Amino acid sequence: MLVGDSGVGKTCLLVRFKDGAFLAGSFISTVGIDFRVSIWHCLMVSCLCPFQIWDTAGQERFRSVTHAYYRDAHALLLLYDVTNRASFDNIQAWLTEIHEYAQQDVVLMLLGNKVDSTQDRVVKREDGEKLAKEYGVPFMETSAKSGLNVDLAFTAIAKELKHRSMKLPNEPKFKLHDYVKKEVRGSGCCRS
Amino acid sequence: RGLWKEARLPRVDPYGFERPKDFDYVSYEEFFSRYLVILTRRAIKWSKLLKGNNRIQKSLKVKRYIRKGIPNEHRALIWMIVSGAQANMEQNPGYYNKLLEGEKSDTLVEAIKTDMNRTFPDNVQFRKTANPCLQQTLYNVLVAYGHHNKTVGYCQGMNFIAGYLILITKNEEESFWLLDALIGRILPDYYSPAMMGLKTDQEVLGELVRKKVPAVADLMDRHGVMWTLIVSRWFICLFIDILPVETVLRIWDCIFYEGSKIIFRVALALIKQHQAFILEATNLPDICDKFKQITRGTFVTECHTFMQKIFTEPGSLSMATVNKLRETCRAKLVAQGSTNNI
Repeated sequence: MLVGDSGVGKTCLLVRFKDGAFLAGSFISTVGIDFRVSIWHCLMVSCLCPFQIWDTAGQERFRSVTHAYYRDAHALLLLYDVTNRASFDNIQAWLTEIHEYAQQDVVLMLLGNKVDSTQDRVVKREDGEKLAKEYGVPFMETSAKSGLNVDLAFTAIAKELKHRSMKLPNEPKFKLHDYVKKEVRGSGCCRS
Repeated sequence: RGLWKEARLPRVDPYGFERPKDFDYVSYEEFFSRYLVILTRRAIKWSKLLKGNNRIQKSLKVKRYIRKGIPNEHRALIWMIVSGAQANMEQNPGYYNKLLEGEKSDTLVEAIKTDMNRTFPDNVQFRKTANPCLQQTLYNVLVAYGHHNKTVGYCQGMNFIAGYLILITKNEEESFWLLDALIGRILPDYYSPAMMGLKTDQEVLGELVRKKVPAVADLMDRHGVMWTLIVSRWFICLFIDILPVETVLRIWDCIFYEGSKIIFRVALALIKQHQAFILEATNLPDICDKFKQITRGTFVTECHTFMQKIFTEPGSLSMATVNKLRETCRAKLVAQGSTNNI
């Protein structure tokens, strides 16, 4: 499930991931829970069970409508916009909300989106890292526009969920944090 | 295939919306040629009714006329009159401009700005390059409304509703007063921060479906699907971007005259008509997908027949029934809320 303030790019991130496209200014604001449910068979994870991805509205008042669905979510992608300080400042409130309503063992990942807008950036990468560390949440910066780390974010979550559901005793435990650290790309390269 | 027809039907509809890439020009043209006959007949009837003095009073005849569709040239005027927006506007001259000139709340302005480029990007009149560009008009209406109704402020969904009002009235101040009629009087409190009206009506619909289409209610129960998932957008956006534009306008004609119970009629007609199709669903994503599909196709495009169906298909639905259900559902929610600490 994608969550985060209004306008941070949840729908764009989902569409970039699903269709590999970034269509600037072609999306309307998401209202309520958009059951733009994407069924996704992750190729990196050999698992018959497909993933459903849910898009939500970011405006605060919709949370009382959407948080009924948190409890059924296995994973939450929490987004902020690196060009919007308020969206970053609200992350703590989001985390409080998630702790209150989501399952205890929900897989959580913090994403700083829109890193392609280097000129407008107001939230430093280190700030995101620091906050993520504080809450013990894996973190990466993404760009729905350039595609930076978009697939990685979803794949990492898929891997983690699969490992949890399989509980294979012989396989070494999958470590989401380590995987993300190893695979993540900085915004310095592959800018569009 | 159908090239000459595409040439006749422009790529952009009369309201400025670009038709989708997969738009079925052939069957739309076929429908529209039939609908045009109805439109012409209704236009003649309406001009007789109005007799050039642009005045109407609520009556069974007017109600019947409205159910059969208000001609587009009279739509803004009739909406203004039957909703009481006209009277409010006349009683408060200069009020709208005063709101625009007054001090603005930064958070409200910020929230509205976030949605400017995300309101009808598929409408040529809302493009930044359009002249005149309706984005500024939309911004003004929403900012003024947010300061007029401080409890509601700005809620996503209002951008789409105000957008439609602007497209129909082509008048900023009238759009403001119509928005006020809808949000302040006609609709329950869908848009205030607690969204109690929305949560209540979702439950009310659930109850109505249980009574009128029980098999679908069972399906939803079996798969643990909450109605909010399906209908929150239907209710909040008053079917904008869910049903075709012409159909939405016909629905709004009745909402302005008959009130918010029309929303249930539309939802129930959609569900009842497609009952067998919905019941084919075997899991939650399937259910979601089916509910998306039932908002497309000829049943909803043929707006005149659709509007007849919403008054026959769901059977009787009195305002008293709706109010009673609203009362019990709201009480239930309040009780739950106090235990869940929501």
